[in-house]
Amino acid sequence: MVNLEQLKEEAKKILSSGKIKYLIGYENIGASWQVRPAFICRPEDVDRLVWTPACFHNLTRFIHDEKRKRAREKNPDLRPIGLIIKGCDSRSINVLLQEKYLERNEVYLIGVSCELAGVIDETKLRNHLGGLKPEKILFGEKDTIKVIVNNEEREIPAPQILAKRCLECPANYPVIADIILGEKIKRNPTDRYKSISQYEKMSGPERWAFWLEQFSRCLRCYACRSVCPMCYCDECVADSIAFAVTAETTAEEKAQKIRWVERNPEPSENIFFHLVRAIHLAGRCVDCGECERVCPVAIPLRLLNQKMEKEAKELFGYEVGFDASQPPLIACFRDNDPQDFIR
Amino acid sequence: MRRTGVFVCHCGINIAGTVDVKKVAAELAKYPGVVYSEDYVYMCSDPGQNLIIQAIKEKKLDTIVVACCSPTLHETTFRNVAKIAGLNPYRCEIANIREQCSWVHREKDKATRKAISITRSIVEKVRRNESLEDVSVPVTKRALVIGGGIAGIQASLDIANAGYEVILVEKSPSIGGHMSQLSETFPTLDCSQCILTPKMVEVAKHPKVKLMTYSEVQEVSGFVGNFKVKILRKPTYVDADKCTLCDECTKVCPIVVPNEFDMGLTGRRAIYIPFPQAVPATYTIDEKACPGMFDTAIACGKCADVCKPGAINFDMKPEIIEVEVGAIIVATGYDLYDKSMMAEYGYGKYPDVLDGLQFERLLSASGPTRGKILRPSDKKEPKEVVFIQCVGSRDPELHWPYCSKICCMYTAKHAMLYKHHVPDGQAYIFYIDIRSGGKNYEEFVHRAVEEDGVLYLRGKVSKVFEDNGKLIVWGADTLTGKQIEIAADMVVLAMAIRPSKGTDELAKKLKIALDKDGFLAEAHPKLRPVESMTSGIFLAGAAQAPKDIPEAVGQASGAAAKAVAILSQERLFHSPTVARVLKNLCTGCGMCISVCPYEAISLKESKAEVNEILCEGCGTCSASCLRNAIQVKNLTPYHIQEMIKACLGG
Repeated sequence: MVNLEQLKEEAKKILSSGKIKYLIGYENIGASWQVRPAFICRPEDVDRLVWTPACFHNLTRFIHDEKRKRAREKNPDLRPIGLIIKGCDSRSINVLLQEKYLERNEVYLIGVSCELAGVIDETKLRNHLGGLKPEKILFGEKDTIKVIVNNEEREIPAPQILAKRCLECPANYPVIADIILGEKIKRNPTDRYKSISQYEKMSGPERWAFWLEQFSRCLRCYACRSVCPMCYCDECVADSIAFAVTAETTAEEKAQKIRWVERNPEPSENIFFHLVRAIHLAGRCVDCGECERVCPVAIPLRLLNQKMEKEAKELFGYEVGFDASQPPLIACFRDNDPQDFIR
Repeated sequence: MRRTGVFVCHCGINIAGTVDVKKVAAELAKYPGVVYSEDYVYMCSDPGQNLIIQAIKEKKLDTIVVACCSPTLHETTFRNVAKIAGLNPYRCEIANIREQCSWVHREKDKATRKAISITRSIVEKVRRNESLEDVSVPVTKRALVIGGGIAGIQASLDIANAGYEVILVEKSPSIGGHMSQLSETFPTLDCSQCILTPKMVEVAKHPKVKLMTYSEVQEVSGFVGNFKVKILRKPTYVDADKCTLCDECTKVCPIVVPNEFDMGLTGRRAIYIPFPQAVPATYTIDEKACPGMFDTAIACGKCADVCKPGAINFDMKPEIIEVEVGAIIVATGYDLYDKSMMAEYGYGKYPDVLDGLQFERLLSASGPTRGKILRPSDKKEPKEVVFIQCVGSRDPELHWPYCSKICCMYTAKHAMLYKHHVPDGQAYIFYIDIRSGGKNYEEFVHRAVEEDGVLYLRGKVSKVFEDNGKLIVWGADTLTGKQIEIAADMVVLAMAIRPSKGTDELAKKLKIALDKDGFLAEAHPKLRPVESMTSGIFLAGAAQAPKDIPEAVGQASGAAAKAVAILSQERLFHSPTVARVLKNLCTGCGMCISVCPYEAISLKESKAEVNEILCEGCGTCSASCLRNAIQVKNLTPYHIQEMIKACLGG
């Protein structure tokens, strides 16, 4: 199990050394079990840090904000930023490195092993507790999760309340980090693509109908995009208003900006937005599952992303986020490519 | 608003037969911004072109759209017309209403509507076009010819005689290629070496030709007019200038390996000269065979001991030579398909089942038997010889679907020459068809049948096997419907022609395409048969498709003429419709760099940068960029969006 004190110690050490600008980790929201990202600048604040099965967030997403801030500042503080990362998050770091968005020395990574657990699924927990409100959620021994309800400690076997993405996760141990806390335990192999197995049985028209229904709910709040570690473009196909314009942008270029997708949540625009997003994530999405978790209308976005991930693996033998030195999926070409998808 | 002119071509009835061209012109005249719209029977004719020039001047047009055939055909014509009339050529665009409309539709109503949509979309495109100027680069006035067979030799001579430098690179120790292995050539039966060796000498002695044998192309970069090539010169370990060809070394060399020149019918030493007339005339130590090379523990050095002039130098190292050339001709030739692929003919295990080139060596005066036809197994004269055509060719299920083209003729020649050597022997030829299209070819085949009594049997051979010193051939004569069994003394297989070993790797280095069978792909099967898809790289000889000597020589001269057309230019012009990077959107992820087939993009200060000379404007980068940060000039996403709008709006 990851020793929280050790985590705090490491955090304190690196913050005191002045080698990093700040550290992003997790902290509880007030006295509740819930967790939010914590930005820690001073060594004395490390006591705020927590590590629980409610540390859902993929903190790599905050790199984008930092990069944008630096680009705006005249004399930016160029020290790396510290990040606490889980296995899935570490894969997204690899993709960012692959895409040269990030240099390895721009981040200091404290990896934490999920061991045999992961993060919980709130709905599953709620159902499990039958309406009772949890007070604290902590990692238990081995593959259990400790939940304190009415001052009473309950050990729940992790698989019962873990998020689906964790049950299907191929990287419970960070694949890239400066230091890693917790044990490297091989998790029992389960079906990696279980979530899409039902969905894949649907016929083409059924799937289309299914997605029409799902997308019709979309509010276009862009929470999925905001939370995504891969959505770092300055200009997005889904934005018909905010264009990346600099002092050098000519009037002609401004006039030629394209409004591919209108901002209003019409079904046709929603479909276009989500399909473009899915395609743009092909070979890049590491299935951290954050988009699906934050969606306020419960669109099962992981189905799209996982399908893409599976296709990449089956058609091209391409695994996302395990090796920062491999070229991105759509930039690799092999002469012996089977090209089965064309037939 | 721009002043656009639209010119609709009838193309005789090619377009007008299916599309109501008058209506297209009338509808476009109503389109906002179109100030002139006209139709004409042949827009590409002189009066048609004049009509455009006049309209541009009189109506003060600043953009024109010609609705006609595919831009691959007449884009240049009409852009020149625009230029003559004083417009920037890139203010002219082609609306393809023939290949993409009239030729593929039947219903006039619908086709007309589609033609209107297409033309409108091009009107929207041309309005947003930038005026561009051609990019130009100087030309390196030197050619590289890869492959020293007859095609490579001919191409080199033609270019050198036109006054340009040539570097001729040959992989093996001597030039000459497969032609030097042949005995006599069809249909005139003149001695192959006798007609080849003068050319070999001429090319080697030519002041404009730099011969690089035992060398291979290792890396190619650059572009038409300005290629940079790295050539690996393998060490021969023999100083050609000192060598006096006394042949003492081969007498003492203890190693014997199969002789490639005799197709393995004889052996050669580890130090060898490929054949007596080899050019350059010198010896080579085969490093794979010489024990002194691969095993330092064995210090043989016998050849060096007997070499009086001291020509042998074991310290020779491979050299990489960098050259700059303006054009490249690829003439890498062919190899025969391997006998071991033919299960039914004994996987090449029977010593008396030969392939065509081995039989050539038996026939050759310089061959292993000094021109006598003897069985390799027992050195006896074969009295019954079966020739089998189309072995591995015309067999899409198991081997290769194409016809190897030269086998009909050389098999007729083989049988004929066999009869000349062994008048009391019998030659049988199993064939599918006899393809003798060529000057005096048909007469040659007749001569084989009528004068020399060669027996042609139409059918395939199902099996060849050894029995009691004979080769039993089971076949069928499909004309009589009878099964045939021949107890032959020798079987000669006309193996399929394959591109020479290493063609695929070379094609990758040159970034030129292969066709489905592995031969080098030409740019157009009819109109550009000697050009590769990459400009400045030309094809000659059997590397492009199976061909006989006259055809290979003809293509080589064609390729040479194409190369000279480049070398004779002072500067080369390049289309300016290349990719452009929008720096503020580029994140420097480098995906465009990895997908670019022309290596035209590089990273500079974490942003992509396009080399406008290398870029061919294919748009692959644009398609791969997640951020639209790289776009092809005059075909940006904005152009495409406006074109789609115009299509849908109609």
